[in-house]
Amino acid sequence: MAWNKVAVIGAALINFGELFDQSYEHMAAGAFQAACGAVDKGFDPTQVEAAFVATQRGTLWGQEGIAGNTVPSAIGLAGIPCTRIENACPSGSDAFRVGAMAVASGVHEVVLVIGVEKMRDKSTEEGLLSRAAAGHPIFTRGETAPVLFAPFATRHMHEFGTTREMLASVAVKNHYNGARDPYAHFRNEITIDDVLNSPPVCTPLHLLDCCPQTDGASAVLLVSAERATEFTDSPVFVAGFGVATDHPYLHEKSTFTSLTATVTAAERAYKMAGIGPADIDCAEVHDCFTITEILDIEDLGFVEKGKGGIASLDGETSLTGRIPVNTSGGLLAKGHPIGATGVAQITECWWQLRGEAGERQVATRNGFALQHNVGGRGSGVSVVNILTTNR
Amino acid sequence: MCAHDEDVLTLSAEAAARALAAAGLDPGAIDGLWWGTTRPPFAEGPSHAILAAAIGLGSNSTGALLSGSPHAGIEALLGAADAIAAGSARVALVVAADALRPGIGTSFETRAGAGAAAYILTSADVSGGEAGALIGARVTRTYPLLDRYRGDAELATRDVYDPRLFREEIFLPPIREVGEHLATLEPTVWSLPDPDGRLGGIAATQLGARGAVASDIVSKAVGDTGAAAALLGAIAGLDAAGTVAVIATGGGRTTGVALVADVAVPGAATLQHLLDEGNEASYAEVLRSRTELVAVGESVPMGVPPQSAMFVRGANEMLSLLAGRCADCGTLNTPPSIHPMCLSCGGTKFETVALARRGIVHTYVVNRTMPAPFVAPLGIAVIDLEDGARIMLQVVGDGADIEIGAAVDLVLRRYAHERGVPVYGLKARVRQDPPDIFGDAVEGNGFDGTGDETSTIKEQ
Repeated sequence: MAWNKVAVIGAALINFGELFDQSYEHMAAGAFQAACGAVDKGFDPTQVEAAFVATQRGTLWGQEGIAGNTVPSAIGLAGIPCTRIENACPSGSDAFRVGAMAVASGVHEVVLVIGVEKMRDKSTEEGLLSRAAAGHPIFTRGETAPVLFAPFATRHMHEFGTTREMLASVAVKNHYNGARDPYAHFRNEITIDDVLNSPPVCTPLHLLDCCPQTDGASAVLLVSAERATEFTDSPVFVAGFGVATDHPYLHEKSTFTSLTATVTAAERAYKMAGIGPADIDCAEVHDCFTITEILDIEDLGFVEKGKGGIASLDGETSLTGRIPVNTSGGLLAKGHPIGATGVAQITECWWQLRGEAGERQVATRNGFALQHNVGGRGSGVSVVNILTTNR
Repeated sequence: MCAHDEDVLTLSAEAAARALAAAGLDPGAIDGLWWGTTRPPFAEGPSHAILAAAIGLGSNSTGALLSGSPHAGIEALLGAADAIAAGSARVALVVAADALRPGIGTSFETRAGAGAAAYILTSADVSGGEAGALIGARVTRTYPLLDRYRGDAELATRDVYDPRLFREEIFLPPIREVGEHLATLEPTVWSLPDPDGRLGGIAATQLGARGAVASDIVSKAVGDTGAAAALLGAIAGLDAAGTVAVIATGGGRTTGVALVADVAVPGAATLQHLLDEGNEASYAEVLRSRTELVAVGESVPMGVPPQSAMFVRGANEMLSLLAGRCADCGTLNTPPSIHPMCLSCGGTKFETVALARRGIVHTYVVNRTMPAPFVAPLGIAVIDLEDGARIMLQVVGDGADIEIGAAVDLVLRRYAHERGVPVYGLKARVRQDPPDIFGDAVEGNGFDGTGDETSTIKEQ
């Protein structure tokens, strides 16, 4: 039996992109207001009892580190309890999990989970340098974000014969989906040749193998399952979740063909939901790079280990495929405003399960959708949330 | 010239590792380091201590840093010899190294080079009469004349004289005087100062040097190597039995030493191989290597700067690549300062060990999007070391030679120059085929045996 103690009654995101004209606070307010507006039977914002805000970068201009007290004020809820959640790339999905636990505990009945991230207020060069110079002076020097994932591509290609075309097919598919998502940063379709011929970034990954730097915000409203019908006749329940950690440094990894935190987090989430990977109708997974999605679909159990590349090339993860993945366009096309990413993925799952995904709508035979992030230094943390319409 | 991540200290560490390999010695056997260079990385600071730690010398090792002029290299040799004669050291490591930094656009610029030579000296009871050379004679002359110099806080070396004035009144007279003493030993080979590619030949002619001028091949290949020149040139003469007359000059002092070898000194024969390995470099690369061309953004601070407590905790483990070996399960946890509990079993008792410096690439990337101060393309590899440890390090070069399964050696390089503080650590270098001329003396000592700039000398 699925856990189902908490329901999602509203979910929304603002248009992702280079939002130079919007402040962090404006993005937060936009997402919150949209989420309130998405509640079927109407929602008075003052009903929010507590909030969890996900923002990964705490050093943009200093105030994100204390988002727990800046965000309530920005969204008109000064006075409520609010806590910032930082857990690397899964910050948004972990805030969702924490919010669900807060509701399930009975302490709060109506909780806001909001993810907000400014990625473009600092220059690309500054962002790269802050990553490359961060961490251990020797063992992590030069580690820009692609360095954390590209070694897995090198090894996956070596062990399983995965090709650059297979990697590229992930970007092609996600851009196809993104072109059908009005909220996506990139709404253009691309070809495999576009990916192969894009400039090299971190061999073997090229530019279009990498997600962009995107500003964005997303919000969801959680209530106890008992009260769900006060707000909607089509509630979506939290079926289960799982979190797992792994050693943070790449030299501590035992394998470079799997992100083991994902495997463990998924096992925990499936067990909690009482289902297996075959029961999932669609999934929003962490595709910061094309190789990451290939690892994800293997580690989440959708395809056999080593077959992620060929399954992607063969269309198994397309909108009409066996297991549609990243129907929103994923991080590659929709964008990756880190704290907002997980919350926006939840929103896509919510739409899919409610049949509201428009051109991107997939068949939801079993009523389960899965959301996944993985990140941190060396993919040291992963979060999996599973949503369901099954009561 | 140095690569962008090399300097006098990294050249010295590499020459030292090769000398140890040639001598078949573990660094723990070295009692002290005598290091001669005009360009220690710190004008005032822990240059000697960093090099000693990087080579793997014990914390109780002794020695000295000699500097101030190109004469410093031969001072290091004699300082070590004196320490052995005095009984304060039995096995001494001598490193003479330099990376000249001329003024941009000066005539001196075209002949400025970089290099390092390492010698291992032992007392006679240690060497037990094995292959090596003896110091047969030494002579020094001092005249308070200005030659090339650099003032306090000046970066480029000044080369001030009219060339003929320098040649006739400053350079040649003391070399003749010292050389005539050495000539009485009938040297078979000479290593003579040759700061411009011509003066060495003129000195040889005036000395009537009957033997070959061994230093020619060094100065022709790499130019003026400053404090390293005399001992680098001498190596070229130590690959066979004979007497090598070595002369160094600078700072108003000129010293001659005769090295008498009954047989070839181990390691000496690899010098030619190394000199032949050269690559073309652009002027921009040369300037960058001398830190005369600094990209905008060079001042971006490290996440963990050298003045931080982490650097204090990690000082040895970064230079020496240390790990904590779990007393319970044997897992190597790298580095020790961030692993209070074993990655595999949670154990809390560790033995600190130095990791192997050879390994195989498990996987890698070539990072091509690196703003300054990083230099792209930058190879980064996950390496399985011979002792079973796994490590991730930057790879020397442009990444073109990295592949899964490639054998690599770990070499000391400069990772950053943070607010004037050079930060050193090991990088991986894809191993090239070793030259056949390298002997059997490299077994089991954990060091690179490919190529060499070394000699072993017994002190009389």
